[in-house]
Amino acid sequence: MLKVRSLQTFYGRVRALDTVSLSVRPREIVTLIGANGAGKSTILNSISGLVPSREGEILFQGKRLNGQPPEEVVRLGICQVPEGRQIFQPLTVLENLELGAYLRFRKRERREIRRDLEMVYALFPVLEERRQQISGTLSGGEQQMLAIGRALMARPALLLLDEPSMGLAPRLVLEIFRTIRHLRDQGLTILMVEQNARAALKTADRGYVLETGRVVLQGNARELLDDNDVKRAYLGRDYREFAEGRM
Amino acid sequence: MTVEIWNREAECQDRDDLAQLQLERLQATLNRACKSVPFYLQGLQECGLRPSALRSLEDLVSLPFTTREDLNRSYPYGLFAVPLRDIVRIHSATGTGLRPTVSGYTGNDLGIWKEMVARCLIAAGVVPEDIVQICFDPGLANWARDFKDGAETLEASVIPMTPLELPKQLMIMNDYKTSVLVTTPSYLGQLSREMARRGLPHKTLALRRSVLAGEAMSQATRSHLEEGLQIKIYTAYGLSEVPGPAIAYECQEGHGLHLNEDHFLAEIVDPAAGTPRPLGKEGELVLTTLTAKAYPLIRFRTGDLALLTAEPCPCGRTFARLEMAAGRADQLVVIRGVRLHPDLIEGIITRMVKGAQPAYVAFVKRVEELDLLEVWVEVNEVLFSDEIKVLEILAHRIRRELEQSLGIPARVRLVEPGTMSEHRGRLGRIIDERRNG
Repeated sequence: MLKVRSLQTFYGRVRALDTVSLSVRPREIVTLIGANGAGKSTILNSISGLVPSREGEILFQGKRLNGQPPEEVVRLGICQVPEGRQIFQPLTVLENLELGAYLRFRKRERREIRRDLEMVYALFPVLEERRQQISGTLSGGEQQMLAIGRALMARPALLLLDEPSMGLAPRLVLEIFRTIRHLRDQGLTILMVEQNARAALKTADRGYVLETGRVVLQGNARELLDDNDVKRAYLGRDYREFAEGRM
Repeated sequence: MTVEIWNREAECQDRDDLAQLQLERLQATLNRACKSVPFYLQGLQECGLRPSALRSLEDLVSLPFTTREDLNRSYPYGLFAVPLRDIVRIHSATGTGLRPTVSGYTGNDLGIWKEMVARCLIAAGVVPEDIVQICFDPGLANWARDFKDGAETLEASVIPMTPLELPKQLMIMNDYKTSVLVTTPSYLGQLSREMARRGLPHKTLALRRSVLAGEAMSQATRSHLEEGLQIKIYTAYGLSEVPGPAIAYECQEGHGLHLNEDHFLAEIVDPAAGTPRPLGKEGELVLTTLTAKAYPLIRFRTGDLALLTAEPCPCGRTFARLEMAAGRADQLVVIRGVRLHPDLIEGIITRMVKGAQPAYVAFVKRVEELDLLEVWVEVNEVLFSDEIKVLEILAHRIRRELEQSLGIPARVRLVEPGTMSEHRGRLGRIIDERRNG
């Protein structure tokens, strides 16, 4: 579905991605893990057209995405949920969700949009309860749900999630990852960046480990959870719990 | 009968997806190798390259080769890419010099090898109901272990390798109702002759398949064994440096060996110039590991001659196929599946007769249908003794050392000065006399 080949992305003269290749197959959850500054978010931003890539190729369902503006990438079926839940704080929950379907309003898909709104409400009932509430007043977990819900309103085939568990209480983290698996079961394909490597690998089918802009390991999530380098570097603090099989 | 495929998703995947997977794994392998193994980083730097210079699979040809000598120079742990505490198994294989070649494996690595052997056995029609007997010379003990692991993975009943005389192996095969024999072509040939000698008809055995590894085999030999024993033969290809005896494996179609391309990248090169040769042309096989974590190999020159074909196979597997050719691209000689470097023999003799530096010649002979190594050592002034017993002990010690180090049968002849005059030009070499007999 998505094939990235030897991608190189620079911020000014700083090389952020150094020959990165990765792929996502239909209905897969793929996670990118690695330390801060390893280039995880840059990969998502390069795919969605927010950051131009200098070399390499990004193919989505056979179409080249390099050089496409972000709105065209959305139109092709890729939607990104940005890090830090960047929702429109002064707007209501409903307005935020409707903005997610902005491109489709112009295509007069009102009936489908209505149906998708119901789908998002079914997924996150709290958003329906608070649909008229100013979204800046939502809790962190609710804001994350809103950010995911807003992305779903664009009806993407591929969802890009940037740190979905960031800043959330442990109970909410579990819930967000449960929702992500549920979305996949509904037919969505997901590429997800996560700091919480253990939770991400327990949710994902496959993963890529990044170090200073390079992929140093790739494989199915179960193998990566077993990998000693991964355990040492990214599961560090919780290693004891991890070793004892506790979540 | 429908033959099963162990991992259909991997073995039958679309070639474009496979190319993407190979690129991802190759780049990750290179990044890891250059981070953890100074040898690989230096090799790249000497070519003026960075690990990220590899943008496509075609770029692989610009990277330097790795040779058996490189492996030996890195003895014991120089090429390990993970800390020793992550290693769960350490393997030794005969190297090019006195010291063995040492390789290591993480838990995940061993899982991959097991799966490759399971793919091979399933492709050979082995089923969980089979009784699988594994017979190798001690020199191929690594492979015996891997075949055992792979056969256990598919839940067959396994009789692991045990160093027993042929008659005992035959007794086990008969009494335990072995249905699959995993061995070398030499050993299977020996077994077949032993049965003929004793007048045992093949019908007394429950044997129906044999998986053979270690040596190239002529079509005539193969047909002869298949007809004589009324079995079907499948072959597998492996390296002794990394334990896998099933890097490539034959399916029921019998036209070449499917290479596990999700774990290995193969190139065929001109043995002299090292330049790439196209599909379908014979040359030296060069292998790069794509998933090995502990012991990656980048462009390893196997010395084996082969050609590669990518035409679709009726079995449904999309992996390209290797056709192994007889002969070698290097000085190694293969005896009963064990790859032997001439320096190895020199090292053993030098060690056994310290300071004497005798002239010697090594022969590979076929004696009563059994391949063995025979070494002639010239008795010079230093070695000479007027007591026969002393000389006998010396010959015995050299022979024992050869057999223990190489894991194959050997004989030693102490000869008078001048005896080897006809072999003057070939002193210190291995002379393969099997083709004449």
